[in-house]
Amino acid sequence: MTTPTVPFRHLATLWIQVTGTWCNLQCAHCINSSGPTDPWLKSLDTRTVKRYIHEAEDLGVKEIYFTGGEPFLHKDILELLAFSLAVAPTTVLTNGTKVTEAVADSLADLARRSPYSLEIRVSVDDIDPDRNDRIRGKGALAKAVRAIRLLYARGLLPILTATEILQAEMPEGNGMYDRFRDFLLTQGIAKPRVKIIPVFPIGRMAQEGGGLLTEEMLRGYDFSLLQCTETRVVADAGVYCCPILAGLKEARLQERGLKESLTSCRLYHTACVTCYQTGMTCKNF
Amino acid sequence: MNPERIYRRVAVFGGVYSNYLALEATLEDARQRDVEAIFCLGDMGAFGPHPDRVFPLLREAGVLAIQGNYDDSMAAGKEDCGCGYTDPRDNHFARLSYEYTFKNTSAENKAWLGTLPKQRRIRLGKHGVLMCHGSPRTVNEFLWESTTPNGLLARFMRDFHTDTILCTHTGIKWQRILPDGKQVVNVGAIGRPENDGMTNVWYTVLTSGDDLHVEFAPVHYDHETLAREMEMEGLPPEFIETIRAGWWTTCLEILPAKERARGKH
Repeated sequence: MTTPTVPFRHLATLWIQVTGTWCNLQCAHCINSSGPTDPWLKSLDTRTVKRYIHEAEDLGVKEIYFTGGEPFLHKDILELLAFSLAVAPTTVLTNGTKVTEAVADSLADLARRSPYSLEIRVSVDDIDPDRNDRIRGKGALAKAVRAIRLLYARGLLPILTATEILQAEMPEGNGMYDRFRDFLLTQGIAKPRVKIIPVFPIGRMAQEGGGLLTEEMLRGYDFSLLQCTETRVVADAGVYCCPILAGLKEARLQERGLKESLTSCRLYHTACVTCYQTGMTCKNF
Repeated sequence: MNPERIYRRVAVFGGVYSNYLALEATLEDARQRDVEAIFCLGDMGAFGPHPDRVFPLLREAGVLAIQGNYDDSMAAGKEDCGCGYTDPRDNHFARLSYEYTFKNTSAENKAWLGTLPKQRRIRLGKHGVLMCHGSPRTVNEFLWESTTPNGLLARFMRDFHTDTILCTHTGIKWQRILPDGKQVVNVGAIGRPENDGMTNVWYTVLTSGDDLHVEFAPVHYDHETLAREMEMEGLPPEFIETIRAGWWTTCLEILPAKERARGKH
């Protein structure tokens, strides 16, 4: 069976796996098995990140995303966000645990100074502390909620980001989206923003994986629905086709050059089926 | 290739959203400003009442229109408006709006929407102008002020061989002059107010010269009559509140942080 490929369209989003798989949490569903010890994917150094941002600007990038691991573990994260915000709208994906009052102040200051939007995505999996912390670690919900409140109080509008990992356990009601939205309202967040993403059969959930995509399945399919047609990820050791597969050898398109990586890529992973079926994007909107 | 028509002054608007009263007022305002032509960047339907009422106005005034994503969906009988929302709340209200508009637009007007070009090029004096709906590359791409970097705009100018880009789709106007003097103008929308607590809507007048002169023109119209007609048609109260209060209540999850922070909801 031939592995299908997807053509590249344009570079809309650049993802920066800034802390590799180094994280202070060890979530049960993490797509890249991030954790506090022995990260299998190293952090990026500040110079390398800036070089990629420059290159992306020349290529007409529209948005820049920082992810990991936990981006706020990077020693130069605020400097890098400032650098990025001078070039393009920038988003950070965080578990919120490192967002102190001082960090929130700095982020609000960065947002004010830039002509472009700064978006902070804070990860949560349930509004029930027991269920959430079973997936994300003890005290994770309280810290995430604290981060959301600190950011909101400073005029930033964080986006609560949740996976569907606990969907089956959710109480009857309006569904996950409204459950999170209503929860934010009760926390005094008058402009609640929620993004729900599916669970991917990869990383710590690799055992959930099923089949692979075939050329037959993709006949007549609108490729523009797949984010790998418009995104690239820079991480340790190279440029990769999408945020879900970042760091995996088979997903690596180039060792160094972003421009050279803007080619078709192979839909080789079981996780590609999730994107195909759900039309999901890792972008904010 | 046809030579591009050269103009001195033109009016450009986007996002009519079935707001025929704002359209009437816009056309009247533009006539008084001595414009040589009036352009519309698409999305005739959505949101407002009696969608068929905008078409005779557009035709009688000789408006030179292009096709927005809504127009494309209506003409092709697509299942949704193709606005490009990803949020469930945004999609819920977009669906209500599209179902009403599709049901109440005549076959003749849908067919007319199908005849519109996707883009237009004109000259304003020495300036080459590319008109599109969302972005030059994608009909439903949102070009918000706070999420459209200069690097991307420079790329558009190079790839599409132009020095001025006019777009709409977001519903909020903005203008940017790049370091090399090239310009991008989101002309705004006349169908709903731009989430600033005011009931007026906006369009754009462009005048040629050494530098291209861009003026955003406010349009006040009988928004109370529109709101009452929306009520009579059973359109969602959230839509009507926006017309009366000037704050967006729906389809606002798509807003980036900076634009969202400026609104009430």
